[in-house]
Amino acid sequence: MKNKNIEHIISLSNDLRWQIGDEFHDNLAEGIYADAAEIVKDSVHKTDEKNKLRLDARIDKIITSKIWGFPIMFLILALVLWLTIIGANYPSSMLAGLLLDTVHPALKAFASSIGMPWWLDGFLIDGVYLAVAWVIAVMLPPMAIFFPLFTLLEDFGYLPRVAFNLDHLFKLSGAHGKQALTMSMGFGCNAAGVVATRIIDSPRERLIAIITNNFSLCNGRWPTQILIATIFVGAVVPNSFSSIASLSAVIGIAILGIFFMFLVSWALSKTVLKGEVSTFNLELPPYRPPRFWKTIYTSLIDRTIIVLWRAIVFAAPAGAVIWLISNVYLGDQSMAAWLISSLDGFGFLLGLNGVILVAYIVAIPANEIVIPTILMLTVLVTGIDGGAGAGVMFELDSVSATGDVLRAGGWTLLTAINLMLFSLLHNPCSTTIYTIYKETKSVKWTVVASILPVIMGFIVTFLVAQIWRLFI
Amino acid sequence: MNTYNPITALLIFLAISVFAYLLFRPYKGWYWLIKTNSKSNGKIVVEDILKLLYHSENANKHLNLNDIIRTLKTNDTLIVDSINKMAAHELIFMEGDAVKLTKSGSDYALRIVRAHRLWEKFLAEKTGFDRAEWHERAERKEHELTKDETDILASKLGNPQFDPHGDPIPTNTGKIAKIKGTALSELTVDTIGRIIHIKDKPDIIYKQILAEKIHIGSLIRVVDKTASRIVFHSEGESFVLAPIIAGNITVSILEKDVVVEENLARLSILKEGETAKIIGISKEIRGESRRRLLDLGFVKGADVRLDLLNPLGEPNAFLIKGTSIALRNNQASKILIKKV
Repeated sequence: MKNKNIEHIISLSNDLRWQIGDEFHDNLAEGIYADAAEIVKDSVHKTDEKNKLRLDARIDKIITSKIWGFPIMFLILALVLWLTIIGANYPSSMLAGLLLDTVHPALKAFASSIGMPWWLDGFLIDGVYLAVAWVIAVMLPPMAIFFPLFTLLEDFGYLPRVAFNLDHLFKLSGAHGKQALTMSMGFGCNAAGVVATRIIDSPRERLIAIITNNFSLCNGRWPTQILIATIFVGAVVPNSFSSIASLSAVIGIAILGIFFMFLVSWALSKTVLKGEVSTFNLELPPYRPPRFWKTIYTSLIDRTIIVLWRAIVFAAPAGAVIWLISNVYLGDQSMAAWLISSLDGFGFLLGLNGVILVAYIVAIPANEIVIPTILMLTVLVTGIDGGAGAGVMFELDSVSATGDVLRAGGWTLLTAINLMLFSLLHNPCSTTIYTIYKETKSVKWTVVASILPVIMGFIVTFLVAQIWRLFI
Repeated sequence: MNTYNPITALLIFLAISVFAYLLFRPYKGWYWLIKTNSKSNGKIVVEDILKLLYHSENANKHLNLNDIIRTLKTNDTLIVDSINKMAAHELIFMEGDAVKLTKSGSDYALRIVRAHRLWEKFLAEKTGFDRAEWHERAERKEHELTKDETDILASKLGNPQFDPHGDPIPTNTGKIAKIKGTALSELTVDTIGRIIHIKDKPDIIYKQILAEKIHIGSLIRVVDKTASRIVFHSEGESFVLAPIIAGNITVSILEKDVVVEENLARLSILKEGETAKIIGISKEIRGESRRRLLDLGFVKGADVRLDLLNPLGEPNAFLIKGTSIALRNNQASKILIKKV
């Protein structure tokens, strides 16, 4: 009996819903919103809003003007990057001096004094410790400069205006204007850039921003680009132009990265991401003086330390692997030599070599240790003098000495150019991959974001190598 | 490395790229064709025939076997086989040479129509697919949804009455809401009405209507009508359509004494410094986007002012409730305002 009653009520409610029609629910919701707005208008009084608005409007007029908007934007971005790269040099070399040149020998001396077996000492100190120390020395200073600067701009209210100015360009490739910000953040660190995509509230555009963030040349890759460009690109032009030539090569690579970012955004939004929900709105908050100390504190804690911690967690096993493959022998060859010779053919096709490919495989955890690994492996397989021993990463103080080692490893201008391209177009570091998984909660998108750039890297370097060999 | 030659390498690469393109290009790639073909069985053909018969019986047309073969682009023997099978299952019967639906056949057809329209509604509300794609995707999905899945989908969408084109969605008991309207091409000058339905077939005409940015729910007023064209005003803009296109738009005529907001316009036409009052958001903005706009304060009665022009043309920022919000032109054109 009771059941019958309930069924009756349900069918009655269905009938009634049918009579009311589809629009009732919407109209009701909108009515409530509108009523709430009326009530607020009558009961909340604001004072002194006018003056503040007028100043805001004045700043906005300049920052978003046709003439000044874009130059101001590029100037600020260039300034931030310059401060980061140049400013980070000093603390970086101090940290390197401390962790690599002082603590490392001290640890080695201590290990031998207590009679630690050579393999344990190599594994722990030359492998794990060295990789972690390297990542901290190279990664910490630029991040500690870049993130606070960026957060200050954000706090001031400038960054939403950048998104406003650039949105149309991003719309053409199916992306969101705020991707301009996450992309810039990616110049500091891709993992932080991926976290920053939280400001994009439209699901489709957020995925696009996450997957394409890797095309921003990050802090771990700037030094590689600069070093290789200085050694090889700078050398082909007369001495007086060499610094300009190498600088433009690095900037060219960064711009190429932005181009690929747009291209891939466009392709993704037209294919696999077509069905994701897309919404747009952009709030331009009022300007306010940045809260300096609070900003510094939160950007260090929220961004720098978290990213650094993840990098350390991933770098430690990488250091172990690097040491192991150079010291574990299969027959009469070390694993590293064996890997290198088996990848040499493929590397040649791409205009690279086995050493570079192996270095990129073992250095997935951090782009910072690519160059030291390449140097160590080159010395290992060519058998030339120098270096610090099998499995011990090193860097040389002088750029020309580094160049000599690389040339002895068979490097040409083509190798250098393709290394620069491959450094731009390869899988994100494992910190970033892990962060992408954390943010998307999807294995599928994590795999796409990791594999897609490597495939593009293979294709681009392959084409460059073939065309180079045909014509030069 | 002896056999290496850059040209051979490039040629091999080219061959692989062409092959991959043929395999995976959208819709026509071999991989997709094989994938869909393996699924394309008799069921789809049967259901397509049922749907075709249902729609033509609604329009009081009766089809014979030849009409069916001509309209459906499947191979002829498959159609003949299916029709025999359907007759055996008492879904259809022959009257003279006309093929007609039985009661159970028309129930079946109704279920497919329900699945199709519900899926279109779902695509419109919950996904980001472009509206030009809804119909085609629903054409495929309607054969995959079971009755239970359709019912679940319906209740998740809040048992909607109409699909995004304004077509009624049958209930699971087969009830259909009536469209009470007149074709736009039949209206006389000075009639005021509201667009309630836009036919999604044939494709060419539908895409043309979409391109004109005409949408369901907008008020229109016919201002001129000749044999070759119909001119009407809607939301502050003037539209000119050929009668054949206007025939695919259904309008519900409003009584003369209904108060119609005059001087309605779209937010996108606002110029710098001008102020207006918001009248509402077009039904074309749905789901998440609509809620977001309401949250931001784009509600009936709110004052809005064009705050900032964008150096690249869009998005422009509008000042609403003391906050500056940037909207792209395609959004701003769907917010209705009245200038003050």
